[in-house]
Amino acid sequence: MTDIGPALGRRLRHYAAAVWAENIKEWKLELTYKADFARSLIDPVVYLLPYLLYGVALVGGRQSANLEKLVGTSDLVTFVTLGYIFIGFLNMALWAMGFSLRKEQYYGTLESVFAAPVPRWVFTMGMSAHSILHQLLMIVVQIVFIMLVFSLTIKPAGLLPSLGIVGLMLIAMYGIGMLMASLTLIFKQGWLISEALASILMVITPIAYPLAVLPVFLQKAALVVPTTYGILTVRHFLLGERLGFSIADAFLRVALLGVVWVSFGLVVFTLIDKYTRRSGTLSHY
Amino acid sequence: MNLTSQLRVVWAEFRKTTAIWLSYPALVFFWAIFPLLWVFPYVFQGKALVGSMSSAAFEHLTGSGNYLAFVMIGAMVSTFIFSGLWGVGNSLREETYWGTMEYIIASPTHPLVVLIGKTVAEAAWTSLMVVFQAVVIGSFFGVQFTLAKVLPVLLLIGLLMVGFYGFAIAFAGFTLLIKEVHGWVHTLEWVFFLFSPIRYPVEVHPVTRLVSTLIPLTWALVAIRGIMLLNRREVNLWPTVLVLVLMDGVLLWAGYFLFVALERKTRRDGTVGMH
Repeated sequence: MTDIGPALGRRLRHYAAAVWAENIKEWKLELTYKADFARSLIDPVVYLLPYLLYGVALVGGRQSANLEKLVGTSDLVTFVTLGYIFIGFLNMALWAMGFSLRKEQYYGTLESVFAAPVPRWVFTMGMSAHSILHQLLMIVVQIVFIMLVFSLTIKPAGLLPSLGIVGLMLIAMYGIGMLMASLTLIFKQGWLISEALASILMVITPIAYPLAVLPVFLQKAALVVPTTYGILTVRHFLLGERLGFSIADAFLRVALLGVVWVSFGLVVFTLIDKYTRRSGTLSHY
Repeated sequence: MNLTSQLRVVWAEFRKTTAIWLSYPALVFFWAIFPLLWVFPYVFQGKALVGSMSSAAFEHLTGSGNYLAFVMIGAMVSTFIFSGLWGVGNSLREETYWGTMEYIIASPTHPLVVLIGKTVAEAAWTSLMVVFQAVVIGSFFGVQFTLAKVLPVLLLIGLLMVGFYGFAIAFAGFTLLIKEVHGWVHTLEWVFFLFSPIRYPVEVHPVTRLVSTLIPLTWALVAIRGIMLLNRREVNLWPTVLVLVLMDGVLLWAGYFLFVALERKTRRDGTVGMH
């Protein structure tokens, strides 16, 4: 009994070192292509602007009376910008983690990674650690630009609870990332899976609109996506968007989704990992 | 190498690209369906901000308040642009990943001929998908495709494709030089989204209105929407055709010379096989 504690501690330190090493490896790879890195910081701003300009073209300004009727705020620029930030977190799970194994395959290092003496989830956690840091950097650039150009009006008191719900949401997103990473082992053309799921999630997640405008079946589907609660709750804290549930409910549901998605992601990953090894298709393209 | 041999290479490349497409049937399904799906967030955003399917402010800018048809037509036409960017612009980078780039460079064919083969294949496949999208839009979203509308639209799309594929060939040369271009393709995608009226009327802001005039897609989309949504058949068509022909000439010329220069530089530097 007395040996379990130190052994577990050693193992966790070993895993933490592997996660950190993976994170550093990704940063080194990324910074090797400096122009590409600089571009990745500008991209989120360019991504966001069509949504804002489209909104302005629709209502002839930045205030929408219909949006106010639906959610209690009329400022479409702040509303859409806060929602759009979460696309970065979706991308983290769907692209950075989901596509990670396919990238290793392209590099010719997938077999070496899989032969390393750490579980696979440690490898994908390292990828997600890098991706979270990268996303945070992109969000800072995005918010600074929008602040300067459009002057966002948010409630500063809502920042801390917003970070709380985002932190919980990230755990659930890790589960989705594990699921995506495993699917690329079977379907190989990983970008297609990521792009297809990203396209569907972009529709059902209330990024630039409230849930109420979606058809009922899509509203129900949105409730199993962690970013739905992330967006709605953060916009509630920072902008005063009306919620269809209590704040306690929001935290509880995201925590529950975290347990469900992480468990599901790990189970599917383990099964697919075993299958690809047994069938000898790990290195297939 | 004579013309017949070069045409044989183009045909072989066409068959190879087609074989790769058919090896991943999901790809065909994806490019046929998803460009339309990407439009739905804009439809729901419109519903949330306006409360109906027509916007007076939008009509003031575009002549039509039907924002659903506006974004659907944008999605359909832009399929050519994005498949060109990925299928032609990124194609030599893919050959590097597959480990076949050195064989292409070492073969007695100029890489430009190989690239033309890829371009022809990409154009054929994309046209098929856009026809499918047009059927979906015509059947479910109330946009009418009569013969009188389709013919001038085809002319505009043809001119748009010629110029854009010239640009994509130059971009393929760029990939030989800087290697990792996946992110740059995404950035270019979004530059098109931002500075051409794919998803919103660029007239809404003076900067986007000004920059958009340099992009052939803007001219083509404005004319196509004029024909499809406002029933303007002749008005403004010929000036647009003239502008597109001039832009095509510049883009094809620049695309050819840039590709040849960049390919020569890569060979001379000995960096063809580098990642």
